[in-house]
Amino acid sequence: MDWLEDELRRALAREAPPEGFAERVMARSARGPSGARRWLAAAAMVVVAAGAAGAWRQHQGYEAKREMMLALRLASAPVDRIQSEIRGITQ
Amino acid sequence: MKRLLIFACLALAAMAAPQQFQLNLDSVAAKASDHVDVSLNAATLQFAARFLDANDPDEAKVKKLIAGIEGIYVRHYKFKSAGAWSQADLEPVRAQLQGPGWSKIVGATSSEDGANTEVWLHIAGNKSIGVAILAAEPNSVTVVNIAGDIDLESLAKLGGHFGVPKVKPADKPKKEE
Repeated sequence: MDWLEDELRRALAREAPPEGFAERVMARSARGPSGARRWLAAAAMVVVAAGAAGAWRQHQGYEAKREMMLALRLASAPVDRIQSEIRGITQ
Repeated sequence: MKRLLIFACLALAAMAAPQQFQLNLDSVAAKASDHVDVSLNAATLQFAARFLDANDPDEAKVKKLIAGIEGIYVRHYKFKSAGAWSQADLEPVRAQLQGPGWSKIVGATSSEDGANTEVWLHIAGNKSIGVAILAAEPNSVTVVNIAGDIDLESLAKLGGHFGVPKVKPADKPKKEE
């Protein structure tokens, strides 16, 4: 088992990072996401916003339709009633 | 000057839509236990019409029916007990219907349930440009104002569709004015 322990010790041995590693990491994080990523995020936001606006508009449309049908229902009942009366008299 | 301007604007608005009247029914509303208030102008009606299914025969009829309507305004009140409201509560509306252009085309009173129904038309030239419907029952009051041209025959035919109860012969009012 000595060879295994030696292999493990070698593989897990503490190693110093290459020269300038920390500076490169800091510089990259300060630059932020790349231009392409920014555009992708903006496009995703536009798609989500457009989808939400479409869904809201559709909801409003169905709500307007529901109110219109309710108004016509309420208007129809008395006209139907009075028309049935006229029909009854004329027949 | 500001007051004069406001008055002029109101006068112009009144002149622009004579077929539309004020649904000032505050005294009825105060006594009601339940109410429905629907106000739809031309733009909202057109928007709503886009959501009607042209392939559905009933909805296609509605689309045709509302084509000439510029607005529909409905107030429907329900009362817990009969006689909670009085005819005087409807006077503000009736007074407006005495104005020029309006004429009552039909009215019926039921001796059975005390229901009183009136249909008024606003005529300009030889064309109907507005409809008023007053349906007063002991337990409910419905006032409808439709601005624009509507086929009353088609409106009545909506009965039995979309959950509208069709008037049965037994429900008929008794007396015709």
